[in-house]
Amino acid sequence: MSDEPKRKVESAGLVEYSVENLVPFGPIHPALKEPEYFKLILEGEKIVQVIPRIGYVHRGLEKAAESRPWVQNMYMFERTCGICSFVHSLCYGQAVEELTMYEVPKRAKFIRLIIAEMERIHSHLLWVGLMGHWAGFETLFMWVWRDREVVLDLVEAISGNRVHKSMNAIAGVRRDMPENMEDRIVERMKFLADRARYYRDVIDSEETMLERTENIGGLSADLAEKLCAVGPMARYVGLQHDVRLNDPYAAYDEVPFDIVTRKEGDVLALLRLRLDEMIASTNMVSYAVKHLPEGPIRVKIPPIIPAGEHASHCEAPRGEIFYYVKSNGGRTPERVKSRQPTMANLPTALEILKGQTIADVPIVLTAIDPCFGCMDRMSFLDIESNRQWTWSGEQLRQYGINYYFPERLKKK
Amino acid sequence: MSEAFIERITKLAADTKAKTSKPRKGETFVEVDQSNVRDFISRLVNEVHVLHLSTITGLDLGQNFGVIYHFTYDRDWVQVKTLVPKTTPTIKSIVDIIPGAILYEMEIHDMLGLTFEGNPWINQKLLLPDNWPADLPPPLLKTSKPAEIRKRLHLEVEKK
Repeated sequence: MSDEPKRKVESAGLVEYSVENLVPFGPIHPALKEPEYFKLILEGEKIVQVIPRIGYVHRGLEKAAESRPWVQNMYMFERTCGICSFVHSLCYGQAVEELTMYEVPKRAKFIRLIIAEMERIHSHLLWVGLMGHWAGFETLFMWVWRDREVVLDLVEAISGNRVHKSMNAIAGVRRDMPENMEDRIVERMKFLADRARYYRDVIDSEETMLERTENIGGLSADLAEKLCAVGPMARYVGLQHDVRLNDPYAAYDEVPFDIVTRKEGDVLALLRLRLDEMIASTNMVSYAVKHLPEGPIRVKIPPIIPAGEHASHCEAPRGEIFYYVKSNGGRTPERVKSRQPTMANLPTALEILKGQTIADVPIVLTAIDPCFGCMDRMSFLDIESNRQWTWSGEQLRQYGINYYFPERLKKK
Repeated sequence: MSEAFIERITKLAADTKAKTSKPRKGETFVEVDQSNVRDFISRLVNEVHVLHLSTITGLDLGQNFGVIYHFTYDRDWVQVKTLVPKTTPTIKSIVDIIPGAILYEMEIHDMLGLTFEGNPWINQKLLLPDNWPADLPPPLLKTSKPAEIRKRLHLEVEKK
């Protein structure tokens, strides 16, 4: 922003401020987490406006897809995310399958459900751990991430990979379920469900978590609907927004499950919701493994996809994921559009941040389960005193913990 | 629910002189003229209560830009398509009707150079790098070549 020092930015009518007051810093920050940038405008301790600047890791996948074959694109889009990788290839695959008119075999649909739900379990566990980390409850972080290994091992046993499963093919899956895995999967799922129930109890009784999460990050259902929130961010205020239920894909119309919604609309509700959702996912995986139908796992399709356009959406761990595919009848797509759940939830997150204190920023931003390590660097601008400063993610975390638990500071 | 819903959409489309087609079961594809698209969407939101906008897709169709608004909340999909000529790449924003559309419009502005009139943040960059030269065409146009963009951006870095 340093190149346009005189420009005035209107921030949705609330506050006007001049860009020359902001601290400029490098566009890309080579830290552990992905670089994102939020301009927080403060009035004392309270945040009055947030302006996002994303795209530092934008790699032009949509453009790249236009010069690659249909099948290759599937594995490229899987690399969009390192956590919910499977659902990207699933969603892209479904859009392409709709154009080819090939029916996906039933067994493949069940295998897709199993992997997608395991991915949800692993993503939610990762998130619960991160919440513990940002709230200053490191024990929870360590325990939850240990349990996450259980589900990652299962994914590795089925697909051969921990993160980028590469299980999907267009009109099917590439690998069958290994033999004699059924008992092992059911047993591990029971273990994970027990652990999730235990973490529910921990969160309900542990002061550290309650104090940092209760009545923080409030949102009304109306506003969530207007801002097009998706996934858990819509369900924690009571909206029944779940693609698995509203528009079933894969085998979701054959596997029974309960949609989890809550009414409270605070970060604590999100924690409970994601843990409950995890328990629901373990039940779904156990059911699907027991009722896995026999038959082929994929259909071979020609490399040329008929002309046409189609969209597809799936329920990723973070919410609705959306792909639009346009073909002109060639070996490569004419256009692929991909929209990730974090993009859809960002306006909601910005809205929630308004009125919070700086100490709550890490918790609230983590609460949307962002696909970026957004707390990496932020610049602060205090309207009253016109003071500016920049904090790293770690400094911000410490500030939050000290704000809520000053006694820990004294001990040191 | 479904039949009545589709009937209401069809009626609404007839009111705003739009063409409807049903490419697949449960899917309504509406082609609206650019001047009527805001009217159509505001009536879709206020009268039919289709509130969830999944995303907005921008397309480069040679002479025109294509803009598709995907309303895919449940089984009944409504996709609203409109064409914007490249000679006047401006379309009215729908942020006041659907506040959640703000980032999608910014994304299309960055990627295709299509301006959304009335979006308060439209002149800020969302995805493109800060050193993106003003004279370089937007990256997602069919005429933009990745190799040229890369070369140009390297030159910009060297200039500093």
